[in-house]
Amino acid sequence: MNPTHVKKFKFTLAHVFLIIASLFFLVPFIWMVSTSLKPIEQVFTFPPEWIPKPFEWENYSKAIEYVPFWKYLINTSVITILSTMGVVLTCPLVAYSFAKLKWKGRNVFFAVTLAVMMIPAQVTMIPLFLLFNKLGWVGTPLPLIIPQFFGVPFYIFLLRQFFMGLPDSLREAAKMDGASELRVYWQIMLPLAKPAILAVGLFQLMASWTDFLGPLLYLTNEDSYTLSLALQQFQNKQGSEWSLMMAVSTLMTLPIIVLFFFLQKTFIKGITFSGIKG
Amino acid sequence: MLINSDKVKKASLAIPLMLALALGACSNDGQSGEAKSEDGVTTITFWHENTGVGEEAINAVVDAFNEKHEDIKVDAVYTAADESQNEKLLAAVAGGNPPDVSWFDRFKVGSWADQGALTDLTEYAKQDGVTKDAYYPFAWEEATYQDKLYAMPVDTDARMLFYNKDAFKEAGLDPENPPKTIAELEDAAEKLTIKDGNRFKQIGFIPWYNQGWLYSWGWSFGGEFFDKESGKVTADDPKIVESLEWMTEYAKKYNVEDITGFTDSSGSGEMDPFLTGQLAMHIGGNWSISGYLKYKPDLNYGVTPIPTPTGDNFTSWSGGMAVVIPKGAPHPDEAWEFVKFFGSEEGQEIYNGIYKTLSVIDSVNEKLGYKDDPIFSEFINILPNSHNRPVIPEGELLWNELSNAVDNSIHGNGTPQELLEGVNEKVNAAIE
Amino acid sequence: MVKTLLSQALLHNKGEGKLGQAANKVSTEHQTIGKHKKPKQIKRKKTKAITLNNGRTGWYFATPWIIGLLLFYILPLVASIYFSFTSYSILQPGEFIGFQNYKELIHDELFLKSIYNTVYFAVLFVPLSIISGVALAMLLNMKIKGMAVYRTIFFLPTLVPHVAIAVLWMWLLNPGFGLVNGFLDMIGIKGPAWLGSEDWSKPSLIFMSLWGIGQAVVIYLAGLGDISDEYYEAAEVDGANWFQKTFHITLPLLTPVIFFNLVMGVIGAFQQFTLPYTLTQGQGKPANSLTFYVMYLYDNGFKYFKMGYASAMAWILFVVIMILTVLIFWSSKRWVHYQGK
Repeated sequence: MNPTHVKKFKFTLAHVFLIIASLFFLVPFIWMVSTSLKPIEQVFTFPPEWIPKPFEWENYSKAIEYVPFWKYLINTSVITILSTMGVVLTCPLVAYSFAKLKWKGRNVFFAVTLAVMMIPAQVTMIPLFLLFNKLGWVGTPLPLIIPQFFGVPFYIFLLRQFFMGLPDSLREAAKMDGASELRVYWQIMLPLAKPAILAVGLFQLMASWTDFLGPLLYLTNEDSYTLSLALQQFQNKQGSEWSLMMAVSTLMTLPIIVLFFFLQKTFIKGITFSGIKG
Repeated sequence: MLINSDKVKKASLAIPLMLALALGACSNDGQSGEAKSEDGVTTITFWHENTGVGEEAINAVVDAFNEKHEDIKVDAVYTAADESQNEKLLAAVAGGNPPDVSWFDRFKVGSWADQGALTDLTEYAKQDGVTKDAYYPFAWEEATYQDKLYAMPVDTDARMLFYNKDAFKEAGLDPENPPKTIAELEDAAEKLTIKDGNRFKQIGFIPWYNQGWLYSWGWSFGGEFFDKESGKVTADDPKIVESLEWMTEYAKKYNVEDITGFTDSSGSGEMDPFLTGQLAMHIGGNWSISGYLKYKPDLNYGVTPIPTPTGDNFTSWSGGMAVVIPKGAPHPDEAWEFVKFFGSEEGQEIYNGIYKTLSVIDSVNEKLGYKDDPIFSEFINILPNSHNRPVIPEGELLWNELSNAVDNSIHGNGTPQELLEGVNEKVNAAIE
Repeated sequence: MVKTLLSQALLHNKGEGKLGQAANKVSTEHQTIGKHKKPKQIKRKKTKAITLNNGRTGWYFATPWIIGLLLFYILPLVASIYFSFTSYSILQPGEFIGFQNYKELIHDELFLKSIYNTVYFAVLFVPLSIISGVALAMLLNMKIKGMAVYRTIFFLPTLVPHVAIAVLWMWLLNPGFGLVNGFLDMIGIKGPAWLGSEDWSKPSLIFMSLWGIGQAVVIYLAGLGDISDEYYEAAEVDGANWFQKTFHITLPLLTPVIFFNLVMGVIGAFQQFTLPYTLTQGQGKPANSLTFYVMYLYDNGFKYFKMGYASAMAWILFVVIMILTVLIFWSSKRWVHYQGK
């Protein structure tokens, strides 16, 4: 066997392996899509049937009519886009400051930033609600958007690691030329951090898109509801409308899958750890 | 292409603030607590979590009310909350801007009233002549905490023994003579069970399946869960212990893991084991009936009271929903008008008629024709003797503890006596 | 003018990159052999960095987060620590009761049981997720056609809504008809009752959770992408086989990422909530074998109106995670290798 043969064999083996593993990970998605196309009496058959018989394409039109789908889609998109904007705007700035700038109290604040991730959200939920209530934001989407403009610890941590991996010499060279710190950040560091920012943006996008508890607590007007709240409407005491619910789930998931598919390369590049310090 | 750094700095701070203002300005009208009085019309907000037909039923009541009242307009808002979760209403009450009226599980009246989160309706009821006489005793009692009325009951349910008449015939049992005593139940269950290795092809009965809670058995065995005099929980009542011992014995006989294998494999909807014939008898609630009709209209089944050791003194227990006025509601007087209407015969008839649920008023059930229906009439007949779960702040804890005790007992983790004593101890400690 | 500056900077970066990689190579060799020496170059850079920086700008840059941290994180946190010393119930402020909540917890059997369950889950899940995550990431890092499709597939389970996941798993693990036991039957093994069995419910949950490691895999992939090809080329020249390359290059250089995911994994495992809660309708069945710490905390706070008690639980959890994190940070000096730093 010559080396190219060995290589070919290796690649085939890898494909076989990956395909088998993929099947395992594909199951939920296939099941979701297949359920979304099933007639109601086929949903709970045993053993489960994977191919709908017949394909009920009307499930999708029914589901879209069952809830004000387009209105909820717009609401979800507005909240998602604005909160992602907030994360993308603030988190890199803060992370850069933690990674590259020296200031008094920096390490303390960084430690606290890590520590606040360790308290379960169930505990801070009520105090936070009371705060937003005082601000008069309850009943509006503001509590789901504005905090993101002030930074999110996990993203700050991730971005900090990225900036730590960028050499200082870049900054130094620019500073020598008399550029202000903000300009160094805005015109040199930020473009270099684009992939990392993209990654963080995608994480936030996913989080906002699927958030349930936030919209449940803070939105009190049906006109401002989101898609994840809509999923709840397919469930009731007399047995849930599983097919319709899965149809909406599928419609909700597709845009993110497409986005991930096209962005995954840049996205994965964006998370760098060479700068982590123990 | 130079960027003014100051501008950028200011912009990055100003954007969130501007957004806050802009969004706040355009969507603030969604706030629940806001009072809007134009032309003397008061709009009150009503939160509910019903979907599908249930939502239609609520909207019908709201429409009927709005038509009758020129000065009050009810705005029904679907909250998307899960029945078991109450964060939304809780947060709203804690924040001081709750809706005027909320849909509410009567089970929680005790704990919420104890927290001062519900408006006392006693005076309103007295003024307008709304008395307990019209309602089933358990329904009124479950809406009352420490002799004060906090909720208006609107629907109810009950637990009964459902049995498959065809399976009875096949096993050589008389389908018109269902089991009345525990011994008869056991006997029928044995005849109706077909086991293949550790798999059940058909199972006669599973005491704890579906609505076979300890409440269902404890009361049927003649036990009492709560002593009103002392205000203490009596989960270790000998009769309740006896009922749990019986369940545990049953679990041993049929091997609990095999039964769990069966129950975990059971489907719902059309594949409900009772519909597929895999389960011959079970303790169920009236709300299952519409599903049976939908998925298997030709199912040949009957319902009968939950068997008791002696074959008489049949009972059941009932829960259900209510409407409440949360503490801090902006328009309690107008809210009461709506609450009163929902609780009245007229409101009950609209709601329960559309949703096919049981009313808490006997005459409404009669009007809706339930007494002529062979299945529904069984439920209506048991309602006057039905129980309600104790109205105590620790209701939820007691429920969870009882359910844990059953789970532990049938799995052989401790004896019924020990476990129920443990429940008593824990819940009574919490009461103090 | 800025443009030229930028391109200069980028050029500079490239040069620096090569230089840096060369230095990396040297240092990695040091690491794999034994004690790691810091290249002098870094020290020089550090001192320079200090002189160049100015404290006020740092503060300015961090201002939004400092406001956010105080307002949206520290304020609720301080509130919760105060609540933990009171009988606060969300609806009523309650009274100050000192350490009573903490004292009561010690005698709460379900509290202890929930600790056992949570520790059980964390001890098994975290290492397993690291091993399978790294293995998957290495598979997905190969340079073969169609990788974008594979990567997307492995990420899919994290995108499917929770309700759907819970229902699907109940079907797959169905003791009688489920796909899993059906498969085991085929190879002659009698499958357990999985979620219905006290002994198997937690392993089932671990199994399910492993399914959703897509996000961690993405982060591992990033780490793998970070390792320069030059190491492998050099190793190839030396005639190293796959095994040697994996254990002497890939894994040591991946340790910073493993470290990151370990910290995040521990935090996540101890805060396990949504999946078991939806699976068991909040009951933690069978026999409380799926009652996890935060589930019990939630019940106390929102069902039993004992937010003070729940807050005390949260602070105990906080301290435990904190200690574990500090331990991980401390131990990291022994096993985490930084590429070129």
